[in-house]
Amino acid sequence: MIVPRTESVTEVIRKVQDMPELIRRHVTDDQICVLTFDRPDSAANIFDKATLVDLNNHINFILCNSSLKGVVITSAKKSIFVAGADLTQLSKAKTPDELRDMIELGQSVFNRLAMINIPSVAAIHGACVGGGYEVCLACDYRIASPDKVTKIGLPETQLGIVPAWGGSTRLPRLIGLPKALDIILGGKTLAAKPALKCGMIDDIAPREYLVEKACQLILKRGAKLRVRPTKFMHRLAKVGPVLNFIAKKVQKQVLQKTRGHYPAITKALEVVTQGLTKSIDASLVLERDAILELGSTEACRNLIRIFFLQERAKKLSGVAADVAAESKVGPVKRITVVGAGIMGGGIAQWASSRDISVILRDINHDAIAKGLSGIAKIYDAGVKRHALTRVEARAGMDRISPSAVDVPLHSADVIVEAAVEKMDLKKKLFARLDELAGPNTILASNTSALSISEIATATKHPERVIGIHFFNPVHRMQLVEVVVGRQTAPEVVRRAVKFVQQIGKLPVVVRDAPGFLVNRILMPYLIEAGHLFENGARVEDVDECMLEFGMPMGPLRLIDEVGVDVSNHVAADLASKFSDRMHCPDVLSKMLADQLLGKKSGKGFYVHTKKGREPVVNPRIDKYHSGTSCAKLTRDELQTRMVLLMINESARCLEGGIVDEAADVDFGMIMGTGFAPFLGGPLRFADNVGLPQVVAEMKRLADEEPRFTPCSLLQTLAGTGQTFYKS
Amino acid sequence: MNTPRLVIIDGVRTPFSKMGTDLARLGPEELGRIAVNALLTKTGLNPALIDEVIFGCVGQPADAANVARVIALRAGIPEHVPAFTVHRNCASGCEAVTQAYEKMLAGRGEIFVVGGTESMSQVPLLYIHQAAAKFAKLARAKSIGQRLGAMLSFRPADFKPRIGLQLGLTDPVCGLNMGETAEILAREYGVTRDKQDAFALESHARAIAARDKLDEEICPIYPPSTRAVVSSDNGPRKEQTIAALTKLKPVFDRKNGTVTAGNSSQITDGAVALLVMSEMKAAELGMTPIGAMTGYAYAGCDPQRMGLGPVYAIAEAERRTGITLDHADVVEINEAFAAQVIACLACLKSDEFAQKHLKRDHHVGKIPKDVLNVNGGAIALGHPVGATGARLILTSLKELNRRQGKRALISLCVGGGQGAAIWLERN
Repeated sequence: MIVPRTESVTEVIRKVQDMPELIRRHVTDDQICVLTFDRPDSAANIFDKATLVDLNNHINFILCNSSLKGVVITSAKKSIFVAGADLTQLSKAKTPDELRDMIELGQSVFNRLAMINIPSVAAIHGACVGGGYEVCLACDYRIASPDKVTKIGLPETQLGIVPAWGGSTRLPRLIGLPKALDIILGGKTLAAKPALKCGMIDDIAPREYLVEKACQLILKRGAKLRVRPTKFMHRLAKVGPVLNFIAKKVQKQVLQKTRGHYPAITKALEVVTQGLTKSIDASLVLERDAILELGSTEACRNLIRIFFLQERAKKLSGVAADVAAESKVGPVKRITVVGAGIMGGGIAQWASSRDISVILRDINHDAIAKGLSGIAKIYDAGVKRHALTRVEARAGMDRISPSAVDVPLHSADVIVEAAVEKMDLKKKLFARLDELAGPNTILASNTSALSISEIATATKHPERVIGIHFFNPVHRMQLVEVVVGRQTAPEVVRRAVKFVQQIGKLPVVVRDAPGFLVNRILMPYLIEAGHLFENGARVEDVDECMLEFGMPMGPLRLIDEVGVDVSNHVAADLASKFSDRMHCPDVLSKMLADQLLGKKSGKGFYVHTKKGREPVVNPRIDKYHSGTSCAKLTRDELQTRMVLLMINESARCLEGGIVDEAADVDFGMIMGTGFAPFLGGPLRFADNVGLPQVVAEMKRLADEEPRFTPCSLLQTLAGTGQTFYKS
Repeated sequence: MNTPRLVIIDGVRTPFSKMGTDLARLGPEELGRIAVNALLTKTGLNPALIDEVIFGCVGQPADAANVARVIALRAGIPEHVPAFTVHRNCASGCEAVTQAYEKMLAGRGEIFVVGGTESMSQVPLLYIHQAAAKFAKLARAKSIGQRLGAMLSFRPADFKPRIGLQLGLTDPVCGLNMGETAEILAREYGVTRDKQDAFALESHARAIAARDKLDEEICPIYPPSTRAVVSSDNGPRKEQTIAALTKLKPVFDRKNGTVTAGNSSQITDGAVALLVMSEMKAAELGMTPIGAMTGYAYAGCDPQRMGLGPVYAIAEAERRTGITLDHADVVEINEAFAAQVIACLACLKSDEFAQKHLKRDHHVGKIPKDVLNVNGGAIALGHPVGATGARLILTSLKELNRRQGKRALISLCVGGGQGAAIWLERN
């Protein structure tokens, strides 16, 4: 259907100025104005300044055309409606004024959209988040496609800010305070079905019918769409005491969870609850002031940086550009996982859920049976969480082919070995896998401790041997270390990185050295925790001070979770390689001798009772203190020691070329260990504290305990007034 | 011989488990999926090369119509590969293979995944027609009154199920149960209870002795939400004795009968999958077959004496291929009933039977004891009806290779009055 277009003055100006058309306009025979977001040369729509201006121009056109009956807002992209505000523009705002302008521009354009006196309907398909959902909130009605790519929500608090283009104001008015707090404070994005259930959208329709349905709705219901009766419960939540009650209760929960490390969440609570009692305009002012205040905080900057680092990891090639361009190997279709234990099973489960056929190989039927039942449990839990349907879960299970005997592996694109951590066994395995594999198969090890280069020597093709190190639990941990051995070919690195990205994980490329990146930095920290405890520090103090610091879990509790046996093994192994500064605390082997294995045996530093109940400190753990030298240290001092060791080891990784950039270290630690994201990672944190101060503190401690001696990179940087991050 | 041969590259089967035991919770589509998946894993064949998937199944599941297609897709065979299900009662598993053979001869494909699957545990119970009509009325009822009326029309007798398995094992033309047809043969050919029981005991003894050999055919099953492994057939009884068999009551003719649960085939769940292709294709892919199919025949006979089907089919196969029974180094005649197999042996060596029923002057041949069902048969291993035909091919070819023999013959009686016979050979 070709419809003559009426060109407005602004449009002519735009053409003269040669601005790209970001939003297409089309007026139907029924006089409905359809605005289609379609950013040229991009798979995504975002709200940058130009897009806001463009939208404003279209609103001008609508206001000038009294014959129009309604407005439909939609997107032409395959998987994105509007992916929110342009974070690059936001984060690069040099002055507060620049940020203020951007916020106010968005607020005013969306406000004008909300005030248009004809009905407006958002027809949503694809990611509709942040500013993308706020523009929908400014519409009168929202319809979304039920597709998997459709995700609706306000994730701003995860970036350390609050929804400030009307989201914090309009969402509680639409769905009520409690639900709005749940979405905004949690930074949640929902699929269409739950979004419909909680009222964030009004209807669901197939993608192909979205616009048609929106137009019909406007023609049928007309002005009635503009009016939305407020529900009694929504009004009730506005009553002072009720509001205060809800606010107090939520605040308590928030503080418990965040320990005040995430000011955006507290701020969002404040804006939403206070804004609800005020006029729209006054509430928008609250939003604006909140984001301006938050935008200047280090926490916000760090959270946005992590966002960008994640985006970078998704696009990473892992090798020089010319290698990346050279070959074209299609996506991975089949893999083989050797070893059906926790890690092997986890990898098989995850890959199979990502459309990849998996041969799961182990030496006997019982190991496979155990592995398969573990995989089934992960799938079942996914079905219960509504992360996938029963049919999808069954299809995933169907993709796994168990085998307890040697079978041809020539069609496997990647073989991931996740067998017992014993070098001689791995060498034998790799020699055999090298024979069974096809010429293009990548031979990967999931080892967390052994040298990839050494494993590779057992094969005739060391150039195709690489480390692909997943973290436990595989289905929850996004980070994967891609470990480059001495002889690993760049092409193999590239394909391994691609594979990791293909299955939705975030790769970090690291050089082959003991502990690689994450465990290398984590272990000195856990060892120090053990050491502090051994010398009299209380479990509560050691763990609590690191929770205060912003770690998701205290170090001793983490040892319990990982297993005292595994921790002891890994720590001892690494300590043997870095004996100048690491010494595995004896307490772990003493605990092992007494069958205190941590969570799996029910007792370790903590007593782990039933599922879902917080473990309590083991009342008999005190007998494992063997000294008193650390008994008197304050929590601050405990924290300093553990953090300094992490910083030092991080610097050593950079120094030793384990990774190329400081950002890789920080990214790895945040994604791999949950290192306080708002601090930006150990190296960013060190930069912010000031390297001279870090070095001074370390030297002070090193007088008595040489393991605190700062590495030469730290000393040089501090000495020359440089930092890990340039600018 | 100039006719191209269909070669069997390899095969696997699930363990055969008695109805209601280890595999009872898995439907025929799941059993078939596991077998095909294991076959593809074992052979390493790129599934995109497969031209068609053909599976036999007698009790086809209501929730997985054209079960072959369901099996193919769930086993990871790409969607462009078509699939269909075949049904020739107890020879359905043979039919899948002979269909592939015909397709190959007609130039309609070269690589096939074939087999059979059956979950006798999951053959459904049915409502009688009268009850179904009442349910339909209830579904159509609009007003509350109509609905109430429809509900009140039900009588307790409406809920008495028709047992699908029983219906399936009854010949709808002659009205006899399969066991009753075996009783006829026992009477007419003088197959005494003692002979039948002795035959059954031998079947168990042979299956037990061959346990390791049979395990070679088996892909283990890991039943979901358990940590268990099922990796062997559970039908063969090590402690089976003549005394125990003698104690059993006849099932089909309680007063004068001789056919008991002990000397009949067991009712069993299981699936078999075979990778077959043209000889040329196998050479091209560099795959070494375990054997080849050289010819086959199906033949009809009296439904009341369906147990004699093998005699007719073997004679017909000889007519078509020119290969005589004495050429077989291994013979499998499916043990639907001990009485039926013994009757077949008698007829095969009878000139009189040949003249009267087979339009030939002389008998078909004799089958030595050490050639027939050497690793036990369905009396011990069980008879998942749709799958058995394919199992006999797999079991006999493996045995032929062990014996370094040249030819094998497999044959089954088929409910409804038919017989099937397939000639196989080793390269």
